[in-house]
Amino acid sequence: MPLPDYEKKSYKRTRTMHGNWYLASYRYKFNLSRTKVFLKGLAKGHILGLKCRSCNTVSFPPRLICGRCLVKPDQWVRLPETASVSTFSANYDADDKNRERPYPIVAVQQDGTDTVWVHNLTDKFDFHDVYVGMPLKAVWAEERKGIWMDIDHYEPIEDPAIELNKKEEEM
Amino acid sequence: MDKVGIVGYYQVKPGLDIMMSPYEMIFEAVRGALDYADLKRKDLTTVISATNDYYDGKTISNCFKVEAGGAYMKDESKVEMDGAHAAMYGLFRILSGNHKLAMIYGISTPSCYQYESVRVLENDPTFDRPINLLNSYTSGGMQMRAYMKAFGISEEDIAKVAVYNLKNAAKNPLALPEAKKADITIDEVLKSDILSTPLRELMYPMKCDGATAMILAPERQALKITDNPVWIIGVGNVNETYYLGDRDLSVSLSMEMAAGKAYEMAGIKDPKSEIDVAEVFGHTACEDLIIAEAAGLTDKGKGISMVDRGNLNPSGGTMAGYTPCANGLTRIVEAAKQLRNEAEGHQINGAKMAIATGQVGFCAQNNVIYVLERGGN
Ligand SMILES: [Zn+2]
Repeated sequence: MPLPDYEKKSYKRTRTMHGNWYLASYRYKFNLSRTKVFLKGLAKGHILGLKCRSCNTVSFPPRLICGRCLVKPDQWVRLPETASVSTFSANYDADDKNRERPYPIVAVQQDGTDTVWVHNLTDKFDFHDVYVGMPLKAVWAEERKGIWMDIDHYEPIEDPAIELNKKEEEM
Repeated sequence: MDKVGIVGYYQVKPGLDIMMSPYEMIFEAVRGALDYADLKRKDLTTVISATNDYYDGKTISNCFKVEAGGAYMKDESKVEMDGAHAAMYGLFRILSGNHKLAMIYGISTPSCYQYESVRVLENDPTFDRPINLLNSYTSGGMQMRAYMKAFGISEEDIAKVAVYNLKNAAKNPLALPEAKKADITIDEVLKSDILSTPLRELMYPMKCDGATAMILAPERQALKITDNPVWIIGVGNVNETYYLGDRDLSVSLSMEMAAGKAYEMAGIKDPKSEIDVAEVFGHTACEDLIIAEAAGLTDKGKGISMVDRGNLNPSGGTMAGYTPCANGLTRIVEAAKQLRNEAEGHQINGAKMAIATGQVGFCAQNNVIYVLERGGN
């Protein structure tokens, strides 16, 4: 197959080979039945973790296999909406030339779990005030659909105990 | 070589499109092998996997498999491609004296990608890919032609091998259901679609999802675990030139040399009479014969006689379901089952000595062979 002109120009000493398989065509498999309970919980506004009966580790998001015990954890546990910052970082939009607005990335540990996931922090909060161990609370999406992004972002709270009491009063 | 024992294994039942993620398949295989041997994850000291990053759609794909493979916080490594090579890696680790129990597994799920297309990327990008004519079908066709021409073999003979394998598959409970053809005839094979002349569809194994796991232990440890381990008493591995044009495709020089080393190690003088059963990994029905001949089981060009004797691939070989990256390991496990009298439905009576082979590359470029001996009573 003759090479297009623009490629000939840019590769004087090598030739470009056209493969005929692309990674984008890869069909990744995942067993959805194992996360059904979790996603249904999200739709109802419940945060569920998966507990290994063997080592009592609670994972959120749920890990389908416990590497310590080599078993499939099967006990779903309700978790509070509160969490804390495990570690964090920040970056800037590429077009933000003056780097005026750092965009925080927080590693969130949901209270009552042994695992951490990465999520967004509310954009109303100044990144410079984030600290490791800062208490957070999950903020739900306006409309819950039973998908991962039902937890829209996290926002800082003053004291997890206050939030828990508020929640109990509501109920 | 010190004896190394096979003390446990498990094969996930293959399928064209298994309704499990690869992650769960690995878990099933590894957990199954541990349970079979009545061992715990904490007993493992090293875990070796056989996978292919392209086939997994991820780079360094073993990173993702740590938890499922039982390797959490353990010595872990990976071999690209065949499980028989991963077994060799595990064997080395055991023989080093540093490890007491090695988990080996191989997995791939061709339902996730176009297997034959991905194999094109094995081609050399400078000379072979621009022409874009070399792939599993065409190389298989050219190899079969070379073999037929060299030894005066007919297409019917190769069809006979395919029929033999597919009928054996029908007796193997762990064969791909679609490959179980108890009533297949030579005529049907010869009338099946052409892949690349003279290679036809039914002479070529069906690609399917599958995973196999196996546990190795040094002699003393193996005897603590089981009364009847299978001993690995010889191993040979030889790689030959990459370019098909530089090889005589009608024979397998690398397997011949690998087998020579393995037999010497195992003290086997006459493989024809001393080997009771052989599980060989051929990429086509024809390649099964080439490899069996190179392994010294028959004279060159006389591989078809193994079919009449019935001790070649009693499981159906790869024709019973070709599971990339697990094939070679499955061959070892099938041979071990024969020696432990556990081959349900396809047992060769009184098998004491077996060989199993693995390979990588077009027309079996790199070959590995194991000599296995029944332990215990
Ligand atoms: Zn656990």
